[in-house]
Amino acid sequence: MTQLMINGKAYDVDVEDDMPLLWVIRDVIGFTGTKFGCGMGLCGACSIHIDGNVARSCITPVAAAKGKNITTIEGLGTPDNPHPVQQAWAESDVPQCGYCQSGQIMAAASLLKENPKPNEDDIKNGMTNYCRCGTYLQIHAAVKKASDLIGDES
Amino acid sequence: MSTQEKLKVSRRQFMGMSGALVLGMYLPVGKLAAKAGVSAAGKVNAFLVIAPDNSITFYNPFIEMGQGTYTSIPTLVAEELDADLSAMQIAQAPHGDDYKIMFNNTVRFTGGSLSVRSSYETMRRAGATARAMLINAAAEKWQVKASDCKTEPGFVINQSTGDKLSYGELAPLAATQTVPEDLPLKESKDFRLIGKPVKRTDSLAKATGTANFGIDTQIDGMLVAVVKQSPVFGGKVKSFDAAAVKDMPGVKWVDPIPDGVAVIADNYWHALKAIQALPVSFDEGANAKFSSAAYLQSLQDNLDTAGVNVENKGDVATALKSAETKLTADYHVPFLAHATLEPMNCTALVTDNNCTVWAPNQGADFVAGTAAGITGLPLDAITVETPFLGGGFGRRFLMDFVAQAVTLAKAHKGIPIKVVWSREEDTQHDFYRPMTAARYRAGLDANGKPVALHVTNVGEGPMGRLNPEFLADPKIDTTVVEGVEKQPYEIANHKLDYVHMPLSPVPIGYWRSVAHSVNGFIKESFIDEMAHAAKKDPVAFRLSMLSNSPRFAAVLKKAAAMADWNPSVVEKNGVKHAMGVSLHESFGSLVAQVAEVSIENKKINVHKVWCVVDCGFAVNPAIVKMQMESALAFGLSAAMGEEITMEKGRVRQTNFHTYPILMGKDMPEVETEIINSGATMGGVGEIGTPPIASAVCNALFTLTGKRIRTLPLSKTDLNA
Ligand code: FES
Ligand code: FES
Repeated sequence: MTQLMINGKAYDVDVEDDMPLLWVIRDVIGFTGTKFGCGMGLCGACSIHIDGNVARSCITPVAAAKGKNITTIEGLGTPDNPHPVQQAWAESDVPQCGYCQSGQIMAAASLLKENPKPNEDDIKNGMTNYCRCGTYLQIHAAVKKASDLIGDES
Repeated sequence: MSTQEKLKVSRRQFMGMSGALVLGMYLPVGKLAAKAGVSAAGKVNAFLVIAPDNSITFYNPFIEMGQGTYTSIPTLVAEELDADLSAMQIAQAPHGDDYKIMFNNTVRFTGGSLSVRSSYETMRRAGATARAMLINAAAEKWQVKASDCKTEPGFVINQSTGDKLSYGELAPLAATQTVPEDLPLKESKDFRLIGKPVKRTDSLAKATGTANFGIDTQIDGMLVAVVKQSPVFGGKVKSFDAAAVKDMPGVKWVDPIPDGVAVIADNYWHALKAIQALPVSFDEGANAKFSSAAYLQSLQDNLDTAGVNVENKGDVATALKSAETKLTADYHVPFLAHATLEPMNCTALVTDNNCTVWAPNQGADFVAGTAAGITGLPLDAITVETPFLGGGFGRRFLMDFVAQAVTLAKAHKGIPIKVVWSREEDTQHDFYRPMTAARYRAGLDANGKPVALHVTNVGEGPMGRLNPEFLADPKIDTTVVEGVEKQPYEIANHKLDYVHMPLSPVPIGYWRSVAHSVNGFIKESFIDEMAHAAKKDPVAFRLSMLSNSPRFAAVLKKAAAMADWNPSVVEKNGVKHAMGVSLHESFGSLVAQVAEVSIENKKINVHKVWCVVDCGFAVNPAIVKMQMESALAFGLSAAMGEEITMEKGRVRQTNFHTYPILMGKDMPEVETEIINSGATMGGVGEIGTPPIASAVCNALFTLTGKRIRTLPLSKTDLNA
């Protein structure tokens, strides 16, 4: 048994140590907001937070997350109580198909934690997740907006 | 497709929904029917359900894959119904004839940039009909004339007393009203939602991870299957050794599927590990010799073949002979993959009498037909659930992944099975945008005026392969020549030939904007070559051939004005920048784009794109602008780095490291303007893709003097 802390709750899972966290989260525990795009750490659709830092869960073995705090998109905020990044995303109508957006939002939330007032280049270079629908300009603008929202709150 | 059919009444029952106003459309379609919900029996295929609890549910016949149909289509209904869009629930309509609202009620799919323009009137009529019935119900209740009532979103108001009743309160009585016919629709000056940048209905769900995609399907007792298909197209499984993997963690069964094998396990990871370990040998068959390089050679060997004549005006041969300046150029483009970010997947549950399929799809009837064919069950025993699609771009018309899930679920009745493809399977078993080659020959007179243009396109198109019934002339594949055919440029002598070069065994399909993606690049690059040969400004040169096409001229002029068009190289911070222009019509809409490009340390930077679109009328200008950005990113992605190559009958690319898609840091700034010309409504979802590659390559020519005649740019050495 491996114990995982996901979104503030403990889960006991019986999986091999090398199983990527992505599949534990999606298929074993059942949080499906975290997406599968490539399985190689390339696209970022599977981005989550481990102890507050963004990680690509498709290449993170479950063993590496033992004893750490895992946050998925569901734990970041909810429709009733969205995180400022989610709020910025929803207000700006960023998503098109939406498939990449959980990962984008997790990446953005982590970027803003590191750097609450990113400039344009910080955002362009810091947001490395793929979006096949090409919502990049909206993503960049929403990171800025989220930065403002967070600034207003604190 | 006609949207003018009369509305007609019929009363049927709606499942378990007592007292609701249920407005459905049924065959012969275009007709609306209203039903009062009373008892449980029977299934009504509703478009619109207004329930006593004030909930309004809209069953959308079009799927949402990013293009905004879960906003723009219900907007049409809400406008005429006079309801708040945000208060409406949007659900995906089931399969069945009742929802075949396209092409004279013969078919329903989402694609071809058709959703809004094909249903613009039908959807508004549905809303207007429901509103009139609600008003009539209120009038009956208040014993006043209908004309004494008005509506505000969600309510009918008694104009003399100021009383109001909610739509929900009126629903039971409204359901008993006669369905009115020939209702007038709103005048555009009265639009509250149409033509406005109405907010999307799906943003919050997609921002919080609560939007459900096909791959997210979870059913009690569900197992996950991962497939391995013959690496060579058309190959067959010779043998596999299930015993070698049966003791691996989580593995339940190893099953054959069409052209491959699947491991069914308790989760994706276990199934993936097992399929990777599974000893399997394939009979590669006759196609093991196919290579895309050899196919390209066969295309290029036929650039002067007569083929089938598509267009012929004047006397091209004579005009070319006597032209003062002659130019000829050969172009070709590679195979491309759709690379939807959500890999192919499908979940199926088969029992003796029923089959349910959860499938990201661009046509629920295609799913149902596939499932019925495999299970032998009648269509009405098949349920299709369509969640959000993590991208479609034309890939999810094809039902290969559905067939796999249903095949496996049929072998294991009562157990829901979800097939999930790895990215590698997805890249290597797509239905590709076909490779195409073209030869362009042009003649200019002494003043640089074009006098002749002769184009030969060589290849095979997806329509001829997949839907030959849609071809007006079986010998001419529109999906090879669209976009060179019916050009607005006035050239006295012109000719277009099509040489059919069958691509067997490569699966080919519809890729966002189909052959326009090919011909938008080639035609607009060659027009640019002509402009330079004529020593004319590329914008002025195009305009000189558009005197009879004012809409084209207008979008081009506007794009040039927005960009502050400059045909010369300009230095900015010590780096040379240049602009390129392109103009292309597709799906009934016109798009002009100007791209500003530079090269630094051998890296191409596309800084900004100015984009002008005339789609007749933009129902939701915000969504139209987003679709322009999305589609041009898609085209730019392909132009920059996408290419599928095949050797020994198999695709060489596997995942995003070998099939790179555009990243955020390479996305240009985009400025879009919409011209509401009032012309017949055109499509929106694909039209931004065709012009971008040529706009960029035309800029690169100005910058480097090198003409780019094939894509992607990643394999072109601009310094050579
Ligand atoms: S799925 Fe993890 S990076 Fe693509
Ligand atoms: S919104 Fe579709 S992949 Fe990003």
